[in-house]
Amino acid sequence: MQRSMIAAFTLAAATLTALPALAQEAFKIGNLSPLSGPAAAFGIGINRGIELAAEDVGTFTVAGKQYKLELTPYDTGLDPGKTVAALNRAVLNDNVKYGFILGAAVHGAVLPIIRQTGFFDIFMGAAGKEITNAENPTVFRFMASSDQLYYTFTPEIYKKLGIKRVAFMGPNNDLGRSDVRTLKAVATRLKGQGVEFVGEELVEINAKDFQAALLRLLATNPDVIDTNASPTGTVGLIAKQARELGYKGHFISSTAVLEAKALVSIAGKGADNIVAYRIWSSPPSKLYQEIADRHEKKYKEATLGTVWEAYAATRWVVEAVVKAGTFDSKRVAEQLAGSTFQFHPYGPASWGGEKTHGARRQIQTPLPASIIKDGKWEPLEVKMGTLE
Amino acid sequence: MTLALLAQGIAIGLVNGALYILTALGLTLIYGILHIVNFAHGEIYMLGAMLVYVLFVALQWPLGLAFVAIIAAAALAGLAVERGVFRNLRGQWMQLLVASVGISLIIQSLSWIAFGAQEKNVPSVLPGVLVLAGVRLPIERLAAAGVALVLVAALYWVVYRTRTGLAMRAIEEDEETARMLGVNSDRVAAIAVAIGFILAALGGAFIAPIYSLNPGMGLEAILMSFIIIIIGGLGSITGTVLAGMLIGMLQSIGALTLGAEAAHVLVFVAMIAVLILRPQGLLGRA
Repeated sequence: MQRSMIAAFTLAAATLTALPALAQEAFKIGNLSPLSGPAAAFGIGINRGIELAAEDVGTFTVAGKQYKLELTPYDTGLDPGKTVAALNRAVLNDNVKYGFILGAAVHGAVLPIIRQTGFFDIFMGAAGKEITNAENPTVFRFMASSDQLYYTFTPEIYKKLGIKRVAFMGPNNDLGRSDVRTLKAVATRLKGQGVEFVGEELVEINAKDFQAALLRLLATNPDVIDTNASPTGTVGLIAKQARELGYKGHFISSTAVLEAKALVSIAGKGADNIVAYRIWSSPPSKLYQEIADRHEKKYKEATLGTVWEAYAATRWVVEAVVKAGTFDSKRVAEQLAGSTFQFHPYGPASWGGEKTHGARRQIQTPLPASIIKDGKWEPLEVKMGTLE
Repeated sequence: MTLALLAQGIAIGLVNGALYILTALGLTLIYGILHIVNFAHGEIYMLGAMLVYVLFVALQWPLGLAFVAIIAAAALAGLAVERGVFRNLRGQWMQLLVASVGISLIIQSLSWIAFGAQEKNVPSVLPGVLVLAGVRLPIERLAAAGVALVLVAALYWVVYRTRTGLAMRAIEEDEETARMLGVNSDRVAAIAVAIGFILAALGGAFIAPIYSLNPGMGLEAILMSFIIIIIGGLGSITGTVLAGMLIGMLQSIGALTLGAEAAHVLVFVAMIAVLILRPQGLLGRA
């Protein structure tokens, strides 16, 4: 009798303890990003940003039900074909309706599927209005766009560094081609200041040897080589090989979140005078530092560049879902577009792009510019304008 | 184009050509002797590079010791693959091809797990640039190119000046007759595969400080190696040297005159032209 009583109590206690867990459902957030190859650090950083955000979000209620965030990663290798396959798998097999998709270069291939399925694209990538616009209401760019950075930063940076002759070296994909068009337009606009676009070289995304292409580019005597649209490893190799050919000017990487340590490990002293936007040489907020500390404790390495933005994006989207009271991506998109966010590690965040992109789908946050000196990021004091 | 620019372009082409030879040499040997299209070549190349990172950078072994370990590991891997896979499938080219693709995929998958997805970098052991008559030559590239030439010479010596080389050529010509004449073809095949693996691993090891590394890097190496051995002539060492230099020059002068995108296309145009006009390759036998 006593034994059966104990068994009954144990069973009841176990059931009661398990109940909240059973009642909790998973809100799956996909991460369709390169988790291998030269751009892997971007995708791994997003995974970690989501995981850290999930710890802070905990459980949340949507339409009376309890949910918990669940990360579902897909390795796209930054390849459009693989990203299409991953998105189809996410939507059709895994019931993933929200997710990060990294890379402007893969978006040409996935946008038709996003439009058709209403997938909520937490877009991490550059380029401009060709991706975030009124035709793609469920696509939100959670990092600065190329046009935003080029138009708001570049004139100031060129003035500060005395840059007149501008060259571009980037991948021969959609992003590289889009960025070089934007850069040429900016240079044309700055013609009055004596700025001239002198040459471009588009190379294979996985290329590792740039010497011959650099030689042609260096023959145009550039003051700066814009390496936008390339990941850290590639920028490091371009810098190293250009220095070997005697180049002494600057490099500018507008959109990629570059790791100074990795750049220096590849290019050595040659990494000096690489300028990057979106890199904070000192923490812009307490939250930024907290996330960095937690990251280092949890993953035993320095914080990867995409962690902060992925953290903020995850929390902001969950907040919008909770406020909308539904997972319907179009209604969540409307809710999100009208909101502001106080928990972005870079500072207060809102949405812009209504005039320039035709839709409020472009994040607006404070952004810095930094330059590598003696192997470390140092602030490059320039004032950033706004997208509109 | 100025003369100085052209001279620099030629220098880049020649050095890069030597690096391509370094990458392709092991593939040439294994095909030349055993007629095996070894798809795992790229992965052995990658492992050679990754081992430099692990032993020299992560574990801080002396560089010389790291290279000895890499050569030993590559030789053992070659002997194991020959004994375990290639020997059982000898003469069945399609099965051998599929088996080598399988080995390649296994190594690559395990490498992603073992080495992780992030790019690795090996700091330059020979930094600096040599300037000769205005032409700038990075010393680490020159060293790797020099190693390529030494390895070509060593391979020539082994294949054309030693009894083992004679046996290799004999089984390449007619394995059955060679066996009847007392050649231990299994032993010779094992040596050839081991040397092929050592060459692939050394290719990766010497290229490690020049580029960044990841477990997917073998794919690009095998693609370039195939282009080179197709243009040069399958199994021809001299053809590999010629094609490596040709591709290096074509890419360099092509990029200098027409741009990087056009130069990339030029390589494939050259390969297709050779396949149509001389299917056996420039120095291959019909």
